[in-house]
Amino acid sequence: MTLYLYLIISAIIFTIGAYGIITQRSGIKILMCIELMLTAANLNLVAFSSFNGNAAGQVFALFSIAIAAAEAGIGFAILVALFRVRDTINLDNINILRW
Amino acid sequence: MNYVLLAPEILLTVLALIVIFIGLLVSDRSKNMLGYISAAGLVASLVYVLGTKGEGSFFYNALVIDPLSQFFKLIFIVVSLLAVIASIKYFENNRNQDEYYALILLATVGMMVVASANDLVSLFVGFELASMSTYVLAGFEKKNPASLEAALKYFIIGSLSSALMLFGMSLVYGVTGSTNITAIIEFFKANPAVSGLDVIAMVFLVAGFGFKMALVPFHMWAPDTYEGSPSVVSALLAAGSKKMGFVAAFRVLVLALVALRADLWVTFGILAVITMTYGNIVAISQRSIKRMLAYSSIAQAGYIALAFVVTTQMSIAGGILLALGHALMKGGAFIAVAVVGYMVLSDNKNAKNIDDIENFAGLGKRAPITAFALFVFFLALAGIPPSAGFIGKFVLFYSITIEAVRQASTWFLIVVIIAILNSALSIYYYARVIRYMYVLPPAGEKIKEPAPYVIAIVLAVIGTIGIGLYPQPFIEMAMNAANVVLGV
Repeated sequence: MTLYLYLIISAIIFTIGAYGIITQRSGIKILMCIELMLTAANLNLVAFSSFNGNAAGQVFALFSIAIAAAEAGIGFAILVALFRVRDTINLDNINILRW
Repeated sequence: MNYVLLAPEILLTVLALIVIFIGLLVSDRSKNMLGYISAAGLVASLVYVLGTKGEGSFFYNALVIDPLSQFFKLIFIVVSLLAVIASIKYFENNRNQDEYYALILLATVGMMVVASANDLVSLFVGFELASMSTYVLAGFEKKNPASLEAALKYFIIGSLSSALMLFGMSLVYGVTGSTNITAIIEFFKANPAVSGLDVIAMVFLVAGFGFKMALVPFHMWAPDTYEGSPSVVSALLAAGSKKMGFVAAFRVLVLALVALRADLWVTFGILAVITMTYGNIVAISQRSIKRMLAYSSIAQAGYIALAFVVTTQMSIAGGILLALGHALMKGGAFIAVAVVGYMVLSDNKNAKNIDDIENFAGLGKRAPITAFALFVFFLALAGIPPSAGFIGKFVLFYSITIEAVRQASTWFLIVVIIAILNSALSIYYYARVIRYMYVLPPAGEKIKEPAPYVIAIVLAVIGTIGIGLYPQPFIEMAMNAANVVLGV
């Protein structure tokens, strides 16, 4: 039963992240939600790895943690550059491009 | 193991690091030479990819070299070569050129890794390398709010799609106990029963790849990003980065579909039809040419996705050929838009909306080479022979018609008819721009088109028409690649 517990927790975390991306308007909060979604996938990988008894999933999780860190770095860099030009990172105000 | 087969990737990675180091040492003015160095490196890898015939697998079967990977590497290298040549002028005297060229080279390496990936880990790492480099490239004009907005939107949607993809991959790993794609396929062949978890994993993977391919309903980022980014980067994104989603889908989804024997063709049929119709209809009402090209590129993604509907050797070959043709046509068209931007800015430094259709009035007189090239690209995108766009569409539509007759399926026939009607519809908005270019009076003086732009555009025109006039070798290459996709 423990595997199911981990899967349920990771599904809940993933859903919280997805919900946040849809509803939140602040750039920082959206970045946090993306990290939640990636973390949910990592939890899945590690749980399956322990359940299947092979290490491939944990290796994958290490790769994805490193990548998530790089991704957050780039996200914050873009937000800083945007803040310098526009004085806001509220997504409601970022609407030059539309049809 | 014969690491010589990986020489193009190694060469481009080392070159990216060298470009950054040279950038640290030389003055801002001498940074203009970095574009030539990057172009030379890309030409070397292109020659190498075209010249080698070997196959092999590396790093515990995480990367494979086969006809499929070589064909898509050809696309990626050609696209970034065009983008780099055009950037020599576009980013001339920019003091951050070293970072720009290093990022383009790394993005190319990432796309090439995706093309060779035979393991979920290498697939994900390649995707992220290419995506992160292009997030930064999209926002490279860091004083321009539109460019930054494009980068932010691209970043948020791109990270969301990465998260969906990773979640799907984690479920696949949980079901099969392996991250190696060959092992995963073997597992599904041995256990054909479809469980609920398989379907959920497949849905996540389709959504993750669908964002990269910009299929409707995962397309919202594409028009904003292509419009706001610098035009040469839009060329790289629309022509290169999008094909990355297709090669991953060919490798993972088609194999999985064949192995699972799942009737997912309905899903892909609906996605493809909605995508091409939506793209073409919205493109009609656009005034910004970059945005129009973005919607037309969504429509083209719809055509390519038809390859997933029947998954025969010929349909996949058609999809791959259309991907190659689309890369040349769309890359060239975005670079031609960059020339128009240059022309407008040299008239008036503070011009707004530089890619508005009004600025294309009389382009045939103001910039004859660019106007003629755009004329060729637009006709090729609409599928007029002899062009790469025609060959791709012909093989693709013909293969679906054959399958419709063979299986006596009305639905396949309806899909083909909708696709052909869509091609006819797309001529309307291409012809509108051609009318602006050749019929309306010019809005200013004739300009001298800068040499790097002309070289890039002429190369794309030669490729587009060349494939149309002499398609045989390309069709053979695409057929070999399709054999790999189907695991024959």
